[in-house]
Amino acid sequence: MHPVFDNSHLAQKAEAYDFAREHLQSDMVAADRAATFPRDLWIACARQGIQGLAAPEDHGGKGDVDLLTSMLVMEGLGKGCRDNGLCFALNAQMWTVQLPIVDFGSDEQKAKYLPRFISGEIIGCHAVTEPNHGSDAFSMETHAEKVEGGYRLNGTKRLVSLAPIADVALLFATINPELGKWGVTAFLVDLHAEGISVSPPQEKMGLRTVPIGEIHLKDHFLAESQRLGPEGAGASISNHSLEIERCSILASQLGAMERQLDESVARAKSRKQFGKPIGQFQSVSNRLADMKLRLETTRLLLYQVAWLKERKQPAMMESAMLKLHLSESFLASSMDAIRTFGGDGYLTETEVERDLRDAVGGVLYAGTSAIQRNIIASMLGL
Amino acid sequence: MSDNRSLIRDFILHELLNGEQADELEFDTNLLVSGLVDSLGMVRLIAHLEEKLSVKIPPEDVTIENFISIDVMADYLKTVQTS
Repeated sequence: MHPVFDNSHLAQKAEAYDFAREHLQSDMVAADRAATFPRDLWIACARQGIQGLAAPEDHGGKGDVDLLTSMLVMEGLGKGCRDNGLCFALNAQMWTVQLPIVDFGSDEQKAKYLPRFISGEIIGCHAVTEPNHGSDAFSMETHAEKVEGGYRLNGTKRLVSLAPIADVALLFATINPELGKWGVTAFLVDLHAEGISVSPPQEKMGLRTVPIGEIHLKDHFLAESQRLGPEGAGASISNHSLEIERCSILASQLGAMERQLDESVARAKSRKQFGKPIGQFQSVSNRLADMKLRLETTRLLLYQVAWLKERKQPAMMESAMLKLHLSESFLASSMDAIRTFGGDGYLTETEVERDLRDAVGGVLYAGTSAIQRNIIASMLGL
Repeated sequence: MSDNRSLIRDFILHELLNGEQADELEFDTNLLVSGLVDSLGMVRLIAHLEEKLSVKIPPEDVTIENFISIDVMADYLKTVQTS
């Protein structure tokens, strides 16, 4: 018996795992090398109802699914799907674009965007970071000047996951740079409209199947109806979705860590050196014990945050601890997996080293590990 | 309302400012211009108010119009408590 979940919860995780094992397989070595976005698998996920986890039923979603179940589904998906980039991309759209529209959008915005996100017809991205503002995100310079009927936007967003293939961006700009975080406002921007250009995909180390790029805005006019929430509420809206995003993006990473451990244990049992399985050498088995400990401590932190958010409770410190611990654990365990596989783990064709490259992004995006420590310290009153 | 103003001021003064800068923290002090409360401080303050007053402050209400000073916050909290 599971200490937290009942059998119906766990069945949904198992179903997601089976779906991923059966329908989300591809030549990952080639896809990673070519940095190809798997649009066919994205559509397969839409048909399975994955994107619909983050939307109410009347807009085509699975409105009756609670956050804990959604998190378990994304965990199962992360374990069964070897493409960490695909899971990252799904979570990015679902929790940082769809969910803010669900929570803060007008009826018109919900009807306009949600059904098409859920069906896979269009793709959405979340644009915050700028050339001069990374960790200090809310000091942003992208300006939304108030004009008759709406706003005129100027500025540049960078490091935007999915931007090169996205149709819509949930984009944050300030209505007055002197107001700091209190001027930050959220907008829904059509990336094919006049006054907007998007860069080609930029090469990167890991998560290579999810393209990343820049968005340039030059005198782009945006109607007032495209603003999401009130003026000046952008920072609060972003923080709200970040806590939930961390549950689910990290749930898929947790699933990947579980897959990684299973494969490392299998390797330690089957690979023989000096006449016995390498897992019988303590230098190897201790590493696997550490991987298991990281997996299970992360799992507890993840379930705690999901439980708090399901009850609409604040989880600023808890989600920072989760983000910090999981991303650093995935990085450390990815290195341990390579050590367990030895020279084979160093070869791209065995698909062991890719997890390490994918894990590096985790200690940088959505708040670096240093920022997570700052949040924890601040919440402790320091 | 005066209770709410004291609740807010006490938290800012003792939890966010470590008991310092009491002279600078009046009920009508512009918290944005003064820089007395940063982003994380505001998150902590909101969590504290929600717990102590048993209210829910929606993220879309966290704007300068509702949070620029202790007086303004107290006025805003009255609307949340009565809704």
